[in-house]
Amino acid sequence: MSSITIALNGSEVTAAEGKTILEVAQENGIDIPTFCSVEGLSPTGACRICVVEVEGSRTLVGSCHTPITQGMVIQTHSQKVIETRGVIMELLLTSHCGTCYMCEQANACKLRAIAADLDVGLPRFQSKKRFYQIEDISPYIVRDLTKCILCRKCVRACNEIAGKNVFATGYRGFDSKIVVDFDEVLDKKVCRDCGICIPHCPTGALSAPVGITEEKKATPLIIRS
Amino acid sequence: MTQVPKGIIDKDRDPEQLLVLLKEAQDKAGYLSEEVMAELAESLSISRSEVYGVATFYSFLSTKPLGRNVIRICQSLPCYLKNYQTIVESIEKEIGIRPGQTTDDDRFTFTLTNCIGACDKAPAMLINSDVHANLTPEKISQILKDYK
Repeated sequence: MSSITIALNGSEVTAAEGKTILEVAQENGIDIPTFCSVEGLSPTGACRICVVEVEGSRTLVGSCHTPITQGMVIQTHSQKVIETRGVIMELLLTSHCGTCYMCEQANACKLRAIAADLDVGLPRFQSKKRFYQIEDISPYIVRDLTKCILCRKCVRACNEIAGKNVFATGYRGFDSKIVVDFDEVLDKKVCRDCGICIPHCPTGALSAPVGITEEKKATPLIIRS
Repeated sequence: MTQVPKGIIDKDRDPEQLLVLLKEAQDKAGYLSEEVMAELAESLSISRSEVYGVATFYSFLSTKPLGRNVIRICQSLPCYLKNYQTIVESIEKEIGIRPGQTTDDDRFTFTLTNCIGACDKAPAMLINSDVHANLTPEKISQILKDYK
């Protein structure tokens, strides 16, 4: 594969053709926040938090799904990018349930960590929330779709790693939801002995059931400034 | 349990045909029952959730039984600006159901839809596949008479 030269935050960088902006940035020690991107799985560009500025592009582009091209001039942390990421974060939080102090996963939550990192407080926008019943009848996975941000990582992890195709996106627009079969409760008939999707979830929407004698606390969240 | 009508599943098995097959299945059976969707999933070797995801994404596919005639009123911006709400109200008054419901005699299902491409003649609606445009509340009862 031939290599390509691009300008990344003002410095010249050479990388292999076919890599995405996100991959090249990570190789060069630049931290771009992501929710929906997983190394090795197909990119979807669902969450938009990884947007970067590319010279000549009408809009900001999602770095996780945009391959580099010769001579590309990229800014990963310009003011425009940071402001946009802040608004995207607010939008994600607007329909997220937003009760961290009630959430078992709060200390391990990527959504919360990146929101803190971007210095986003309470979102300015008001919207109704999507409330769903917690699905906890499966002995392998507890699903609380109220916390889901629709990054579709669980769908891809299940399809591409486990090969089980349990999840898919159902409905449309605001009503979109990750469904199992015909929008049924996740139980051990369709999904068992796996749990591959759980560590991929950036929120507390998917978690492993906790036995009463087990330690519930995750490692403390260390907020970078 | 409803019986799956014969002849719904008889195409070459290519998962990319899913949308076409769903449309055909709906045309034949009236709506997409779980039995039909399960059979489609099995014959195309894809998951039930994927079939359900596609079936619920498209507003012209239905996973619930529909009436004999389906009224779809456009709620997109041009129709909105031309007071589509008065059309919705006059239909509600005429057939006594709200959007999303079906009449008890199965004569009408009433839903809202997004743009149907008749913006130049807004407000517009579809009944089955007929476009009715430049609607006024007075025209409604005359139009509905033709659909039994």
